[in-house]
Amino acid sequence: MTSQCPFLIYRKEHGEQSFDTARAFCTATDSFVQPMRADICNNRYGLTHTTDCEIYDAHQSTLDTDVSGAETE
Amino acid sequence: MTYQSYLDGEPVIITAAVTGGVHGKEANPNLPETPAEIAAAARACEGAGASIVHLHARKENGERAFSTDAFQEVTDAVRSATDNIIIQHSTGGTAAPDELRVEPLLTDPAPEMASLDMGPLNRYGKLTSENTRSLVDRLHEVMLDRNIKPELEVFNGGHLNESLRIIDDLVAPPYINLVFGGGTTTIPHPRNLCTLADTLPPGTEFNILGFGPHQLPMTTQGLLLGGHVRVGLEDNLYYRRGELATSNEQLVKRAVRIATELGRPIATPKQARSILGLK
Repeated sequence: MTSQCPFLIYRKEHGEQSFDTARAFCTATDSFVQPMRADICNNRYGLTHTTDCEIYDAHQSTLDTDVSGAETE
Repeated sequence: MTYQSYLDGEPVIITAAVTGGVHGKEANPNLPETPAEIAAAARACEGAGASIVHLHARKENGERAFSTDAFQEVTDAVRSATDNIIIQHSTGGTAAPDELRVEPLLTDPAPEMASLDMGPLNRYGKLTSENTRSLVDRLHEVMLDRNIKPELEVFNGGHLNESLRIIDDLVAPPYINLVFGGGTTTIPHPRNLCTLADTLPPGTEFNILGFGPHQLPMTTQGLLLGGHVRVGLEDNLYYRRGELATSNEQLVKRAVRIATELGRPIATPKQARSILGLK
């Protein structure tokens, strides 16, 4: 298993949103991630994206085909 | 605290929950995240009438932080920026290990108050903040040792039962926060607020927290029942439907306006300490 969710990247801008510090961004939902959810994306505190994230569940079938900016499994 | 407390014009304590840890600037760019931003927000809220500030700590990118060092940085900044506001640290932390949940209580000096979750709270599709009795007791013991007054977070009616387990160990008066919102919190409805307020242990001071669109109506009803209120961007990102709040101060000012119109004077930090039995 990867150390973080393959859908996770960190970026400063997306659309009309911009930040001084790069923030967690979910390439599955194409949106910035809530801070608490970012702990799941990063597999912190015993959380893992494979077991604790319903978004990962819903999108993992796309990993091998179309996830820009994310590694494949 | 009852309707008679309202009729008697007893002061209302306003708590400002300025940052939280669930959402951040991605949801509202006006939400403070850094220690400097949180301190500035606390100062503005104190000036507007808040007598308690509820604090969480974050990393530079807005993500959650639980370490004593992180809380020390935030609490130091807030203490430097404010005059006399009561500092309340959160001990909440969905999925965070128990060891980390204790850390916000270990700053120097200790916070005057801290939140103490009374039971489970569901998050997202797969998470639950378990808040086991074992953890509650452990956090409470540290609070007793460090002279920190707990605010008992009652997410639903069953958590009132849970609060009875430790009520006799609390320094009077018990301070209970009734939480209204979605999921495992109490369904936001005026009758539910009345029911919970009617079943509080005798001598309790209570606070009302309503999430999102329920912040305004629930806190307003709380004022009429003699309760205290919590507002801020941690719980509610919007001023009204479709309009993001511009600051925590804006939400505090609205609470002050409503309380004043209803005849409840706003408690100063000194009055709040007296009401809550803080030394």
